[in-house]
Amino acid sequence: MAVPNKKHASQPCVIPGGFTVLDIKFTKNSPAAHQLFVKEHKVRLEKTSSRPLDRTLFVLNIPPYCTEDVITRLFSQFGAIQSVELKDKPGHPEPTEQKLSKYFTTKQKQGFSVGYIVYTKPSGVTAAKTHPQNVPLIVSTEDHPVRTGLHKWIHQYSQSFVQPDTLQQAVDYFMSDYDRRKEEDAERKKKEAEQQEEDEEGWVKVTKGAKGTKVRPHSEAADKRALEKEGKKTKRKELLRFYSWQHRESQREHIAELRKKFEEDKQKIALLRAQRKFKPY
Amino acid sequence: MKRKVAETTTEVGSESTCHVETESIEPNRSEDGDERPTKALKSDSKNKASTTALVRPLKVSNKELYKAPTPEELNQLKETESLFHCSLLKMQMEELLKEVVLSENKKRMVDSFVLKITELLHSVPETPVVELSDTTWLSNVEVPFILVPESTKGKFHMEPPTSVAMIGSYPLGTCIKPRVSVDLMVTIPSSVVHPMDAINQRYSRKRALYLAGLAEHLLSSKEVGTLRYSCLHGNRLRPILLLTPPGKDASSLTLRIHACPPPDFLKPGQLHPQKSKIRTEWFTGIDSPQPGGPDVPTPHYNSTVLGDHLPAAHLQFLSAVSDQCGAFKDAVALLKVWLRQRELDQGSGCFGGFLASMLVSYLLTSHKVSNHMSAYQLLRNTLHFLASTDLTENGITLARSPDSTAPSLSDFHSAFPVVFVDPSGHLNLCADITAHTYKQIQHEASLSVRFWDDPTMDSFQALLMTAKPLIRTYDHVFQLSGLAKMQSACKKLNLFSELMDHSGNYVRTALPLLLSLLQRGLGERVHLLAHSLAPDLEWPVTSEPPKHKDQPPLSFGLLLKSDHLASVLEKGPPADSPQAEEFRQLWGDRSELRRFQDGSITEAVLWEASTACLKRLVPQQIISHLLQLHADIPSSCIRYVGGLLDDVIIVRQENCGTGEEESLKVVQSYDDLSRKLWQLENLPLSITSVQGAHPALRYTQVVPPVPVRLDYKRFAREKNSRALVPQEGKPCPVYITPIKVICHMEGSGKWPHDRLAIRHIKAAFHIRLAELLRNTHKYPCNPTATHLDVWKDGLAFRIQVAYQREPQILREVVSPDGMLLMRDNPEAQALELETQHRPLLTSTLHGLQQQHPCFGAVCRLAKRWLGAQLFSADVCEDAADLLVAYLFLHPAPHTPPSSPQVGFLRFLHLLSSFDWRNSPLVVNLNSQLTVADYTEIKNDFVASRESLPTMFIATPTDRKQSMWTKDAPSVQMLQRIITVAAESLHVVEAQLTDATLTQDVRVAFRPPLDAYDVLIYLRPKQVPLVESAVDPPNHPPPRGIYEGSVTGGALPVVDFDPVSLYLIELREAFGDVALFFCDPYGGTVIAVVWKPKAFTPHPFKTGMMGARRVEVTEDKPSTVPNVEAILLDFSVLGEGLVHKVVPRTEKWVV
Repeated sequence: MAVPNKKHASQPCVIPGGFTVLDIKFTKNSPAAHQLFVKEHKVRLEKTSSRPLDRTLFVLNIPPYCTEDVITRLFSQFGAIQSVELKDKPGHPEPTEQKLSKYFTTKQKQGFSVGYIVYTKPSGVTAAKTHPQNVPLIVSTEDHPVRTGLHKWIHQYSQSFVQPDTLQQAVDYFMSDYDRRKEEDAERKKKEAEQQEEDEEGWVKVTKGAKGTKVRPHSEAADKRALEKEGKKTKRKELLRFYSWQHRESQREHIAELRKKFEEDKQKIALLRAQRKFKPY
Repeated sequence: MKRKVAETTTEVGSESTCHVETESIEPNRSEDGDERPTKALKSDSKNKASTTALVRPLKVSNKELYKAPTPEELNQLKETESLFHCSLLKMQMEELLKEVVLSENKKRMVDSFVLKITELLHSVPETPVVELSDTTWLSNVEVPFILVPESTKGKFHMEPPTSVAMIGSYPLGTCIKPRVSVDLMVTIPSSVVHPMDAINQRYSRKRALYLAGLAEHLLSSKEVGTLRYSCLHGNRLRPILLLTPPGKDASSLTLRIHACPPPDFLKPGQLHPQKSKIRTEWFTGIDSPQPGGPDVPTPHYNSTVLGDHLPAAHLQFLSAVSDQCGAFKDAVALLKVWLRQRELDQGSGCFGGFLASMLVSYLLTSHKVSNHMSAYQLLRNTLHFLASTDLTENGITLARSPDSTAPSLSDFHSAFPVVFVDPSGHLNLCADITAHTYKQIQHEASLSVRFWDDPTMDSFQALLMTAKPLIRTYDHVFQLSGLAKMQSACKKLNLFSELMDHSGNYVRTALPLLLSLLQRGLGERVHLLAHSLAPDLEWPVTSEPPKHKDQPPLSFGLLLKSDHLASVLEKGPPADSPQAEEFRQLWGDRSELRRFQDGSITEAVLWEASTACLKRLVPQQIISHLLQLHADIPSSCIRYVGGLLDDVIIVRQENCGTGEEESLKVVQSYDDLSRKLWQLENLPLSITSVQGAHPALRYTQVVPPVPVRLDYKRFAREKNSRALVPQEGKPCPVYITPIKVICHMEGSGKWPHDRLAIRHIKAAFHIRLAELLRNTHKYPCNPTATHLDVWKDGLAFRIQVAYQREPQILREVVSPDGMLLMRDNPEAQALELETQHRPLLTSTLHGLQQQHPCFGAVCRLAKRWLGAQLFSADVCEDAADLLVAYLFLHPAPHTPPSSPQVGFLRFLHLLSSFDWRNSPLVVNLNSQLTVADYTEIKNDFVASRESLPTMFIATPTDRKQSMWTKDAPSVQMLQRIITVAAESLHVVEAQLTDATLTQDVRVAFRPPLDAYDVLIYLRPKQVPLVESAVDPPNHPPPRGIYEGSVTGGALPVVDFDPVSLYLIELREAFGDVALFFCDPYGGTVIAVVWKPKAFTPHPFKTGMMGARRVEVTEDKPSTVPNVEAILLDFSVLGEGLVHKVVPRTEKWVV
């Protein structure tokens, strides 16, 4: 451990770049510790309000066995916590389109993660940043043991069972929601189409319409098909072996083909020779 | 012993461990040991060369391509197009010839050496005349002759030779490298021999004495390096003297001195194959009871004596032919290479270079080929001739107008199995060749012609560049050791006169009869029964010649017919037919009368074999029975190599073989399930297809699922569904493989056009299917969002519903201006792989298994090896199966394997010798690819080599991507796989061929662990597959199963493997810092290699801080992996599973 100088042992360890180093151990008696790097969350363009700049702590290098609950427990010693968000990589929070039931969310990677901890008060952030390094955070304590290894896998296995009814409910809920959205969509489209129609007096109201939506979305595949059709048409019209120059041309092509093949083969041979591939034994 | 091999493997391994960043894929073609030590030295220069050694798409300017051709160029282009398949083949042959022909330098060296030796030979001193049996005048050397019977009449003295001349391939110009041997003919002066010497080996003994005299003289000379005796093609009557130049040229040149009688010594008519030249009284030492009785003809002895007379004439004849035909020399050289690769050109009874040139001359002189043909055409025609002409039936002769004393072809046929008469008309050139060797040559020739006609393959590589050692060519191989037993065999088979003809060489005497005996017994089971040619013995001049029994063991190879593998019954003729006696005579007491279902009563032999792996070994029973019965050769002398590797893939339960039966049961159960799925009613949409997508459903699962009966007391229960759950603190329960089945639902407008909605609909289908299966068939089911587990017949099936258009919907992206675009993405690809490609591959390979019954076993051996050597993560199961499929679909230069053993050896050979860097491996499944497709695949490959996977496997449905090897292996891993495969091949072949090695073949399945940085040892109790490991524990832990038949009951613990769960967590957490290797089939060690890149200090970056710690130097923070904490995490993450974590290197201490 190069950083922590014995002198500053009880001091917070701050490295250039503004991060404070916190040690984190799995149990009290673990001989080695990982280092957490914490800093106040500071981004120039934060669009969302889920990470208020003054109250959010940015944590790097969170070990895989730390779930959001564990992090909440560990960091609530610095102040009351509003929310904890763990991610694979630092970056903007993904806009969650809709709430999925837990059976349908894709499983998260169980690697080292980064965290955004939002305290209710800005003081939590400062408290965390001034935490001395020689007082490590302990992940698994007697009161709150953290499951790993076989315990965890057996637990996971028994948790993986779903009551078919519950699953069915989740599906039904989602599908009815989906149908509703679908209907709304259709309604909206219908309305737009109606607007395009003539009224009784033969007038059409011209509107800008919703941005980026057209009545019938055209597709890339359809475009390609049309082009191909066109190409075939022109090809059909072409005359082959009609003029003498065409014949000459094809002969020339043949020779060129042979030459090209010859050159390629020569190159291959040279390569194989370089690798001494012609020694039979 | 075990440790020793492990060391050698690592030695090679450590040379190119995964750490080496810039290493190229160089196929390792060194199987002979002597190349290996120099490899390390060469590797530097190799690396440099290989950076440029890559075929790139060629750019030729249009101007170059379209310029007006000169007539010569036009001619040349046209010629290569019409005479050869393509110009590539022509150039390849030219290059090959350049490699093998002797350089001018070499020739000069040879000439000067021959000159010196000739002078020496002329100065041989004369000695006084002594009795023939008196060898006291030889003080330093022994006579190269087995003197049985000891005494002969006659006188002998030494005298300088009348002439010394070069004969054979060197003066003819057909001598090829390596092992250059130059033949020197020394003519014995006529005063030494007597016209009556042809009788009773007198001439042969004088010849041997004369050679001994020469050896004695040469021994004192400084010009000679080593001096050894040998005998020509294993014929003990024709000893030769081998000498090499002194110093460094010793290994590159051998001079062979043949002694020859004076030209007018004997009239060829005297040596007619029906004349007798050995007297029975003399040979036995007993006076024959009837002195006037007819003597038995001695054709082999006669042709041996006659053969000594003719070398000069033969050379003259061949030179004349060679002068007429420009390509003769090249053609013979190519033919010699071809023979050599097939191990046919050396040893006793070989088809050597001399015969090859005689055969080409025959074709030329009989105008079967033209003098103007190219070497390639001559070679092709010769092979075609060999393939289509049976010299055992219709012999050929080179004699234009033989004199009246010459024997007729039928005379020759009655005396010899194979007939090819020389220009003089008196000598059968093929006198020593057995009919089986000729059949082998014919087989090889017809194979080669067939491969040559196949434009999709690299015939040059297959036919001229690939060696075909016995062990890798034949499905089963057996060795006869203890050749002394052959002596009693001769007695038993009543071969006394033949023994006399072969001058007491009982091995050669008994061999043809043994072969025909075995051929009769094996009958329909084999395509070909071949035998190795006993290698030419060599021994120093100062020691006595080795006895016949001291020869290395004889090896035999069997090419099995796969459609007769399964039969355990030899059905003979009806009991009352005349052939019945013959049948009984052949099989002895094994033959019994049996009544068959069709009412016939016939003689029959039934062999005991219950499983497929035992059935494959029926030939072993046949061979040992016949040899014991007819030749008194006990089975202890037979070392049968056919099923030695079966042990590795055996299913370790009672009455189980190598898993064929178990796999079949799985497939049957699956078929039943699929039928039941089809018949389900009341589904909202109908099922359009049910497809298996699991290796077990194509017979290639290493540990095939076996139905189990569970001991419910040993499990906990899930609260709601009452399904079984593993208990904490108990050994991990038995691993139950979920067998994946893809169930496609009908396409319909009812399917939503949205990825999330589709996922939910699929879940609904799983629930519905579960309900129906439970209600109609009482199968315990467990539906989840992604799949549905069904417990049936003691097997777990995992049904996954799929919708044909889902991958397309996943690819759809709407651009900002409303255009619908298709963009490929990993998610869609993965889904397509899972639901479309894998089922297709499974059914295709299932079909392959139906054609080749041992396909599955080879796959399982191959994957077992990959797993054991910790490569499972790099070569996925599907890729491995495709590699094996390649062996069956493109077996050139072999035939498709019919035993797991030979298939496995060829798999290792393919891995280690294929040029992965420059060529795609095209697996033409169902022969869907045409020649044009091949070219297209190759061109596409060359055009974008750099961006394609290192191991590129193309199939008819996947021509451009190589989807199964996309992510792995990396260049470094492939290099390591190649090295380890070459080493394993070496070890396994040595184990199989050499009876003196006492280890078992499993050494190739024990990985060298020295190259790894950290070893994580697991508790065997918690590794569910440990019972099927390569080396299983003696006391397997309780797994909660009963022996015996299967019942229904609650859903068991499916797909619970702590090791794979642990590996997933390790890779997700520490994938940036280290690589993890494990044998998925019961391995109890996880080997870890640190990634060297991760260990160089990085600057502090928020994006890549996983498992690292900070060091601050001069106010700049840099990060390195926090190794102590990581090592601790290894145990934390694997709590309960990990036994201990052992760091082995200090590499990380920077």
